[in-house]
Amino acid sequence: MTPARSDRPGGLRRKLGTAARLVAALVLAGGVYTAFAPSSQAEDTPKQDLSYAAQQGQHLYNTSCITCHGRNGEGVKDRGPSLIGVGSAAVEFQVTTGRMPMARQEAQAERKDPVFSNSEARQLGAYIQALGGGPQIPDGNLRGGDISAGGELYRVNCASCHGFSEHGGALSSGKHAPSLDEATDREVYAAMLTGPQNMPVFGDNELTPQEKMDIIAYVQNMKHDQAPGGWSIGAIGPTTEGLAIFLIGITSLLFATLWIAGKS
Amino acid sequence: MSGGHTSAGHPPAEEEFDPDDPRMTRFDLVREGARRDGVEIVHYEPRFTTPGTPEERRIVRVIAMCFVITGLSALAFIVAYVAWPWEYDAGSNINKLYTPILGTTLGLALLFIGIAIITWAKKLLPEEVSVETRHDGASDNTERKLTAATALSMVDELGIRRRPLLKGAVALGLAPVGIAAIMPLGGLIKDHKSELLYTAWKKGVRLMHDDGTLVRPADVSAGGQITVFPAIPEGNSNKYADSPTLLIHLREQDAVRTRDNALRINKGAQWKNFVAYSKICTHAGCPASLYEQQTNRLLCPCHQSQFDITNNARPIFGPATRRLPQLPITVDSDGYFVATSDFKVPIGPGFWERS
Repeated sequence: MTPARSDRPGGLRRKLGTAARLVAALVLAGGVYTAFAPSSQAEDTPKQDLSYAAQQGQHLYNTSCITCHGRNGEGVKDRGPSLIGVGSAAVEFQVTTGRMPMARQEAQAERKDPVFSNSEARQLGAYIQALGGGPQIPDGNLRGGDISAGGELYRVNCASCHGFSEHGGALSSGKHAPSLDEATDREVYAAMLTGPQNMPVFGDNELTPQEKMDIIAYVQNMKHDQAPGGWSIGAIGPTTEGLAIFLIGITSLLFATLWIAGKS
Repeated sequence: MSGGHTSAGHPPAEEEFDPDDPRMTRFDLVREGARRDGVEIVHYEPRFTTPGTPEERRIVRVIAMCFVITGLSALAFIVAYVAWPWEYDAGSNINKLYTPILGTTLGLALLFIGIAIITWAKKLLPEEVSVETRHDGASDNTERKLTAATALSMVDELGIRRRPLLKGAVALGLAPVGIAAIMPLGGLIKDHKSELLYTAWKKGVRLMHDDGTLVRPADVSAGGQITVFPAIPEGNSNKYADSPTLLIHLREQDAVRTRDNALRINKGAQWKNFVAYSKICTHAGCPASLYEQQTNRLLCPCHQSQFDITNNARPIFGPATRRLPQLPITVDSDGYFVATSDFKVPIGPGFWERS
């Protein structure tokens, strides 16, 4: 099977030519691939870099959150923002209050029955924290603060939107500051720290962790406090009180007037 | 003795009224007394012609029970006032019921006094119909003539009409005394203009938190806001209630847009991504501090005026018509926020002298 030497060019030149053609073909194929392959196919964080909790979180994320928040938390245009840097605090808040997974795009995400359990929420938080870092809720008891100091801070910073009695208040264009009735300590802390949706961000430089715990102590105390007037009728001020005055008070006065002045 | 006394027609007008007349009953005296006040008793009938009927006794029992309830409630009020625990104790406890109990007991006591009295009047007192004549407003004709004559006579006897010098002297002399008498009213005239035009902010006054600590840029995160006061003694008290200011840290894009939108009066008021606006709403003076970080609107809770923070705090909804004044701020060499001047326009609601 040795070809006749006289039929083709020198052996070395032939081999070099073959090699060159091969390399050129490879470069062409690789270049075409590089040029036209979608760039968003970045690699997932390799599994061995994540803690166990974060791995579980990644699994939950990939089945529930990925459609709106993207493959690596970078966000999808017009559907969900980037989660890089939001931290586990924001994730825990949104997930344990049931706001995420969001039911639909609207003025504000409402609190609803959570889809994930608290431990699953923490796992999701751990994964997002591993992805991009961000603020975290401190562990341990968050209620060891001073109630009266918390009251002063609450009235300056929080009462304007959430109401003096923590029953919430209206904001513009269909939004509202929700009632704090169902909020747990961790949820209140996380909300202050991360400023969900339109709530301003109260970072640790503005309200120190101790001041945040003071506010939490005040809020939780208020919720279990009894109304000193007997019945707070919803504690939302003029609406229920006005209704009570008109339905009960004015009506009784009318009947009393009719009785007094009636024919006798 | 008490029979029905219906309208007997004319009173004994020809004879003089004699209260000691033995034929007069007490009711006749009452009727005459009312008549002299212009009231004619037309119909007067007791409810129960015979005393002691079961019906009457039932009503008497009811009224007596009302008074008993009143007495017991008032006693309960006294006991509760003295003995019920009232000091503040956190959580649900009977101390919180102090006010409601005082209110209920006193309210019931007073209510049943009223019920007893009204029931007494409606059910036990005699039926009565009286008519009150409407008087003319003027006094009796003779009286008017007599008074007029006296007054005119006084004027004539004084002789001021035929003594012009006296007339002039009296007028000129007494007029300044009249003005002197009302001079103390001048003390009520105050020029409040400077109080309305200027606040406690001045060049070089630093910003401080509610607890007195000074404010650094790192204190407010992006998307956050904080209420600041002038760093002077009592700066966060009611003495300078026109000075509270909202310091907002805008996100990068919003900050760029805000700087681009700044009107001439607000040029230079922004420091990097920080803006400071007066908290006092320009509509009616409530603290407008509901900041929405994603829409960059500042909402006032009282009448829902909304101000666009990225556009000079211009009102975009609600009854406010003027922008929130912006406080020009910068950071001094120690790293604390400091105001570079007072607000450029008067803060808060409009007033007469506001230009």
